[in-house]
Amino acid sequence: MRTLLRWWCTLTGAVILTAPVLRVQGQGMRTLAIDERLATASGLSLGDSVRLAPMASAPSGQWARIGAITRRSADPSEIARSEYRVRLHLDQLQSLTGVGDRIGRFAVRTQLSAGASPDATAVGPDSVSAAINAMAFGFRAYPAAEVAIETSATFRVVNRFHRAIGIITIVASAIFLLCITLLKVDERRREVGALRLLGLSRATVVRSVMLEASLIALLGSALGAGFGAAASAIVNWYYQGVYATPLKFALVTPEIVAIAVTLSLLLGIVSGYLAAQRLVRTAPLELVGR
Amino acid sequence: MNMTPPVLSARDLRRAYLVAGAPVEAVRGLTLDVHPGEWVAVVGPSGCGKSTLLNLLGAIDRPTSGQLLIRGRDVAAMDDKEATRFRLTGIGFVFQRFYLMPTLSAAENVELPMAEAKMPRVEREARAKELLTYVGLGARTDHRPFQLSGGEQQRVAVARALANRPALLLADEPTGELDARTGEEMIALFDRLNRDGTTIVTVTHDEELAQAARRVIHMRDGVIVDDQVRRPLESPTGAT
Ligand SMILES: Nc1ncnc2c1ncn2[C@@H]1O[C@H](COP(=O)(O)OP(=O)(O)OP(=O)(O)O)[C@@H](O)[C@H]1O
Ligand SMILES: [Mg+2]
Repeated sequence: MRTLLRWWCTLTGAVILTAPVLRVQGQGMRTLAIDERLATASGLSLGDSVRLAPMASAPSGQWARIGAITRRSADPSEIARSEYRVRLHLDQLQSLTGVGDRIGRFAVRTQLSAGASPDATAVGPDSVSAAINAMAFGFRAYPAAEVAIETSATFRVVNRFHRAIGIITIVASAIFLLCITLLKVDERRREVGALRLLGLSRATVVRSVMLEASLIALLGSALGAGFGAAASAIVNWYYQGVYATPLKFALVTPEIVAIAVTLSLLLGIVSGYLAAQRLVRTAPLELVGR
Repeated sequence: MNMTPPVLSARDLRRAYLVAGAPVEAVRGLTLDVHPGEWVAVVGPSGCGKSTLLNLLGAIDRPTSGQLLIRGRDVAAMDDKEATRFRLTGIGFVFQRFYLMPTLSAAENVELPMAEAKMPRVEREARAKELLTYVGLGARTDHRPFQLSGGEQQRVAVARALANRPALLLADEPTGELDARTGEEMIALFDRLNRDGTTIVTVTHDEELAQAARRVIHMRDGVIVDDQVRRPLESPTGAT
């Protein structure tokens, strides 16, 4: 009986697709699937026939028709690998490589059968892998989630690193913003002094300085979010092209924008308050400079 | 001389500054009454205490000792908040260097003290327009300070000083930054203001400005050495 499992296999160097590409009608031919990256690089398209041989110099090989072009999943762990992927029927792969049963790893997709209720967790990936491990010898099965956690460990470190950079940036820009606000407010000490002489209260001065600082902060964060969105669009467009992947390299999510706006607003208010306090604590006559 | 109660009444007013730890008196026991409708010019050599006196009269500064009543209120006893409020509603200031807000239009500059005094928008817009027209800038209400000449800026400052209908208009060297011609225009404006009932005290080195005032006070070393009424009030007027 023919297995219905689809086998994933990485074939670095194991299979060489030999040109020339023949656009012939291959009715009885076996099919294979290639990934988008290979299709783009080799100019192959759906329905093309290719000859499969263990080595480029091999005099003969099996003909197969491209039955599907697959798109890679957005898996960051695969980004840097500039390899091509071909999906073959297992028996064809075995005869091609001549190594029979030697398979490094393979994936099993579990599916809920039509009648089963969704909460029937009895046949989930965990129980399947446990069952395989119980009866198999010489290899281990892992649920996909476990594999994902393992492979993303690097990215969690990178993530933490990014967060550290983010915090440093925020602290540095907070200090910068405070200095700018102090300077800007100091530039206007004469005017503020005059306003105080005319009878504008400390509260009014503090309020208007804070309002202005928050407006500037709001405007700045809006500009920053816009700039960030544009920059990440460019980064994504470029690297998705370079690595032929749908993976998103930079993200500006609504939460990120919300955090940025809230933070800068907070910073604006605080720096405005501090700068204004410095002004209104000085006697108006001193502010205008006699 | 005048039966109406004085707008301003100073008794033995003193103000000492600490210079290198030792008190130096800039105003030394000064007594003065200013009645409604008067226009007083304070003149004297540089450093004789004119600005110090004006700052005391305007509740900007506090006397070291002595009594100061403005419209019957004891200014010396006010705390900072009360003094600020008093300056806003009771006193109009014109400074040598104008001190207009550069980002605001002429009209908005005039509206500023009215906004602080919580005057409704419609009312203060109308009053700003009216005041700017009064000082001859009815067509320039939307101009910003940098679009106005020095004389025009000073006239905006005068309009701003009058915004809350103060009992007293104080001006420290109002013509100090102006050329002779615009200085004359400013003097004419003060004259018109005074004829319309505004009580004015100006401090000045400008001989022409002093000549135009009704009363001239000479100061030296913190005291009044001469006090002359040149033009008596036509009729006692209590209006401001
Ligand atoms: N903040 C201050 N600290 C110390 N001394 C001061 C201060 N302000 C003024 N003085 C001194 O008080 C005296 C009077 O100063 P004031 O500014 O009142 O003079 P003025 O008559 O207005 O002079 P000018 O005509 O030059 O404007 C001067 O000797 C001045 O040095
Ligand atoms: Mg002076």
